[in-house]
Amino acid sequence: MSLDAYLLVGAVLFVCGVICMATKRNGIGVLMGVELVLNGANINFVAFSKYTQLGLDGQIFSLFVIVLAAAEAAVALAIALNFYNNHLTIDVDRASKLKG
Amino acid sequence: MLFSQLIQKLIQDTTEKSLPLFSVELCLCVTIVLMLLVRLLGADRLLPACVVAVIGAASALACSWMQYRELYGAPEPVSTTFFTGMLIHDSFTVYFRAFLSLFLLLTVALTSLTGIPDEEDSPDFYSLLFGATIGMMMMASSNSLLMLFLSVEMASVPSYAMVGFLKGRKASSEAALKYVVYGAGAAGVMLYGISLLAGVLGTADMGMLSERLAAAAAGGSGGLGDPEIRTASLGILLIMVGLAFKLSLVPFHFWCPDAFEGASAEVAGFLSIASKAGAFGLLVRLCVALSGAEGTGPLMTAFGCGLGFVACLTMTLGNLAAYGQTNLKRMLAYSTIAHAGYMVMAVSAMLVMSSSAAGAASAAEVTRSMEGLLYYLFVYMFMNLGAFAVIALVRNYTFGETLDDVRGLISQSPTLCVVMLICMFSLVGLPPFGGFIGKFFIFASTLKSAETEPFMYVVLVCGGLNTVFSLFYYIRVLRVMFLEARPADARPVPLPFASWESAFTLTLAAFVLLLGVAPYVMSTTANTAAQSLAFFN
Repeated sequence: MSLDAYLLVGAVLFVCGVICMATKRNGIGVLMGVELVLNGANINFVAFSKYTQLGLDGQIFSLFVIVLAAAEAAVALAIALNFYNNHLTIDVDRASKLKG
Repeated sequence: MLFSQLIQKLIQDTTEKSLPLFSVELCLCVTIVLMLLVRLLGADRLLPACVVAVIGAASALACSWMQYRELYGAPEPVSTTFFTGMLIHDSFTVYFRAFLSLFLLLTVALTSLTGIPDEEDSPDFYSLLFGATIGMMMMASSNSLLMLFLSVEMASVPSYAMVGFLKGRKASSEAALKYVVYGAGAAGVMLYGISLLAGVLGTADMGMLSERLAAAAAGGSGGLGDPEIRTASLGILLIMVGLAFKLSLVPFHFWCPDAFEGASAEVAGFLSIASKAGAFGLLVRLCVALSGAEGTGPLMTAFGCGLGFVACLTMTLGNLAAYGQTNLKRMLAYSTIAHAGYMVMAVSAMLVMSSSAAGAASAAEVTRSMEGLLYYLFVYMFMNLGAFAVIALVRNYTFGETLDDVRGLISQSPTLCVVMLICMFSLVGLPPFGGFIGKFFIFASTLKSAETEPFMYVVLVCGGLNTVFSLFYYIRVLRVMFLEARPADARPVPLPFASWESAFTLTLAAFVLLLGVAPYVMSTTANTAAQSLAFFN
């Protein structure tokens, strides 16, 4: 397997994530798109660490990203829950009170 | 080397070298732990969280003052990397540490005067505030692409929670949801960009980026036709998406008005100043790390011009959209966007000058553009916090933050009106206020950079026109405050002159005026901070 194959998988995950963020109307769905993007980047890091002179730095990067994604998801879900408590929906299109 | 020796060396390096350099951030960490412990032990009646917070912020300021004294006395700029090269300690770092500690102290003072958060929630609120500030300090001192991402996240995640801090309010929860969704998306895109850049250049150390980029350019044709350069450019572009989100540059600005309107005025003020300052520190670090090597000149000049173009769009959109707003926080959010545009002008001028052919611009001129940015940030702290403080104080009496709430305020609270007048004239950039000097520095260095790259003339003219546009909407607020009569049904704002609130806002206004009439001390400090950046290597 060459580096390109791994990068292709990473790129596909990234594009899927971006499309998911752009099209999902459900707040949780958008956050799942973010997770896909982060994991696309993780695959890149691990692949680069094996095939280029980036070395162990790439592995460390992906470890940190996994932990950070969990921390960010915790805060994001708390905010989504609070939004649900106030609006009784998690549809991001209904978040339309603030505009102008 | 044996494993135990390696550990021994690491421990020695951490305790003897890194931790003393990290003392400012450690002060803030200790304060967070103390605040939470005090509540856990039930001592929060005796020792309220805001007192602990004030002491913590003041000791962080004192620590950064000591670091400042140590570095600014040195004849040559010193820069040390610590924590195994993750962070860098130089006068630029110390400038941002001192700036953010001072701003943290002012914010804590403001929140304890306005009563948001209430006593019950204040340890939580201040923990988030301090945590975000630590993140912003690390943004300005990061020396590795890993720290770039971690510090951005460390500053963002507490900010999301702070925007949603008024839990029961619909607007607040909506603002927080929008902020977290856009913010997480931008961070993800930025991380993907980092993975491309780090992978193709084979290093995460920002000190080595420019030479690796130059090596990649030397190997191929050097232009965008070369696949390595193309991938690296894509990586830089995606990282810029994340930074543009933090700086609320067009087209990644749309979260800013919503988040500011939904959050309380204190949090909006914090986000509009501290988070911008941290992001500018990081943007400058990244730009300096990428530019300066032989062979990458054209690429970096194009990057600089691109930033200049974004600055034009950001200023114009911010100022035009601010015009129709009736909510003051929303108007100031658009004003924040426009000001981010002015400050990006300085960064683009720096990039254009430092990547032009050798000898076209001297190091002193490049330093001066960064001096302008740092000076502007310092003035911006006082003038913008002053405006947000007035809004927060008026809100406590009228429960609203619209133009109607300040209509005819001069008859009831002249102090607040005078403070607003000084802050707004300074935001426009009229002499003799600090904003004028800041704008003057930035415009002067943009003019200088236009000598090497004619496109910068367009940016300069755009900046000048926007300054004129911005006059109208700031003046509109002042006209409503000073010239119209207070409506009979409006709630009164009986803020006495002899009160802590008046003293606080007048102090901010005094600094704005002082920075306008006596710029020498601060501009020398900013210049020394800018000198520690290695523009050419």
